[in-house]
Amino acid sequence: MKIRREYVRGGKPVAVTAELVDGDRWRVRVGEAAYEFTAQALGDGGIKLAPVGQEFERSFVAHGVAAGSDYMVRVNGRTHRLTAPAGRQASSGAADGTVRAPMTGTVLDVRCKPGDRVAADQTLVVVSAMKMEHKLVAGVAGVVQSVGAKAGGTVDQGAVLVVVEPEATAP
Amino acid sequence: MAQNPPFRRVLIANRGEIAVRVARGLRELGIESVAVHSDVDARCAHVLQADHAVPLGGNTAAESYLDVGKILAAARRSGAEAIHPGYGFLSENSRFVRAVHDAGLVFIGPNATAMDRLGGKKAAREEAIAAGVPVIPGTEQDEGDAALVAAAQRIGLPVMVKASAGGGGRGMRLVEREQDLAEAVAAGRREAKASFGDDRMIVERAVFPARHVEIQLIGDRHGHVVSLHERECSVQRRHQKVLEEAPSAVVDEDLRRRMGECAVALARRVGYDNAGTAEFLLDDQGRFYFLEVNTRLQVEHPVTELVTGVDLVHLQVHVAAGGRLEDLLAGKDLRPRGHAIEARLCAESPENGYIPAAGLLRLVREPEGPGIRVDSGVYTGWEVPPFYDSMLAKLVVWAPDRATACARLSQALRDTVYLGIPTNVDFVRRIVDDTAFRSARLRTDMLQLRPELAAGPQEGPEDLALAAAVLCQAVAPRSGGGGGGNGAAARSGSTAVWNDLAGFRLFEGVR
Repeated sequence: MKIRREYVRGGKPVAVTAELVDGDRWRVRVGEAAYEFTAQALGDGGIKLAPVGQEFERSFVAHGVAAGSDYMVRVNGRTHRLTAPAGRQASSGAADGTVRAPMTGTVLDVRCKPGDRVAADQTLVVVSAMKMEHKLVAGVAGVVQSVGAKAGGTVDQGAVLVVVEPEATAP
Repeated sequence: MAQNPPFRRVLIANRGEIAVRVARGLRELGIESVAVHSDVDARCAHVLQADHAVPLGGNTAAESYLDVGKILAAARRSGAEAIHPGYGFLSENSRFVRAVHDAGLVFIGPNATAMDRLGGKKAAREEAIAAGVPVIPGTEQDEGDAALVAAAQRIGLPVMVKASAGGGGRGMRLVEREQDLAEAVAAGRREAKASFGDDRMIVERAVFPARHVEIQLIGDRHGHVVSLHERECSVQRRHQKVLEEAPSAVVDEDLRRRMGECAVALARRVGYDNAGTAEFLLDDQGRFYFLEVNTRLQVEHPVTELVTGVDLVHLQVHVAAGGRLEDLLAGKDLRPRGHAIEARLCAESPENGYIPAAGLLRLVREPEGPGIRVDSGVYTGWEVPPFYDSMLAKLVVWAPDRATACARLSQALRDTVYLGIPTNVDFVRRIVDDTAFRSARLRTDMLQLRPELAAGPQEGPEDLALAAAVLCQAVAPRSGGGGGGNGAAARSGSTAVWNDLAGFRLFEGVR
């Protein structure tokens, strides 16, 4: 019984493996580091995990869920959203020129049209959700290829709103 | 208070946690509750809590919770005798209050005239001046440079020099030294002219650094108004409160009495007759200045309930039905006891500019234990809709003293699990664990001055977190918690490669 995942940490992929030793004991490798834990399911989506070998080392309750292509885990009072290397996606204003809706909401204003030349950080779309407005800016300077947002329309989280073709940069 | 129920059935014109809290209070009084809901809210926590539910249709607030016609029709259809508005939505709309009255129903809140007289900031400021309540001293109009400088000297430095057309900080300057006054006025005029095409300026005392301290009031329909003392709500982000507490660490008995008397005088002046809150700024000299009155139950009312022992929703219902405060509060010691702190838990990402997050809550575990109260509007499997406020729940703790209350809140936040969408839980805990908060050195601009509190730790997840993530997937019976079945579970789940864990469940049987 072995499970292997890869997550991004500090911009680099880290391999994490857990191998069942016996009973509820698991050998866990995080990159180069090796650990041993006991892990028991709690029935509420959580687990109890305790380091093996060091007596009176603190134990933890952890909860985890899949969220889209990410995995969210809460342990030791902190929530982490872990991204698999393959699942790394352009967020709004990413350097590849794709502007996505950061949350489900209503489009208030579209400030560009295909063919427009836009500057990096220029506001392209204004989206509203939960009584707050958010300006989505171009991640790169370039020319607008397509616009998938319409003022007054609703958009789902992650929907591509604008695609900007980056300007060829001088070598 | 155990009398006959003042009403048989009450409609709650709100949603989420406050509608749940009101329904609970009504049930305690032996009153049936009627929930109303938009289409996406058909299975919201408040609908599950209530005895009856009436769909309003639509999804946006305008189509549902703000539609006076639909709310009144729901009240008629359900046979409700009164309407509790909660906070937000129609709660401070005097036209709604009149419409409720005209429909022959009771509005559980202040009368429309009192609401009008305290509703606008300008109107409320005039009423406050007339009631002898201190307001921020300042000029009302521009009578030239010399007059502005003279006014500044009269008010006392530091002052804020502001464009009267105002907004966005342009034309606004803090002046601490007399010799800088003339230049600040001149520079302000140039900026104001350029920004607003209007170079008129005003001068106001700079209340800075300031704390936000407010007084909870309750009035009845017989002319009585009682102060239930202060709450401090200085921890704010973009003018939204994050943490609220009672009592304030810097309000002593004398200041409490004086602020309470001011708030009561203002309320009595306008015939105020239900729950309301007078908000003040408190400077570092212990001087307080009136800001505005919120003519409704506040989000942060639980901290007052925990330290005074009164139930504000019960009181609101009783006074709306004509009850007398002298009977309702007879024999009660209302002096604040112990310390209460409330944290607003919201679906938003403080680490990313407080961007709000709608979506599926795949796992919810709210904390419990002695001195812990959770007013929640969500559950595992609930999909937070994008149409309304981002608040999920309020975590409120009580302890005999402030230090213990801080420790209790920090631990309760540690035990709080909302997974599936970003929340501010870790952010709130960073504030609570910060020495400034622990030592009650609070000011309204503290989060602007300390952006690292919102940004959070910059290092990546520790090995423990990565190990926990993989072990959760290996041994937890079902990754993804509930999966509410309102469509989104299946939708998001289909993209989740991690859900394919069926094989691992076999190992539970091996032990």
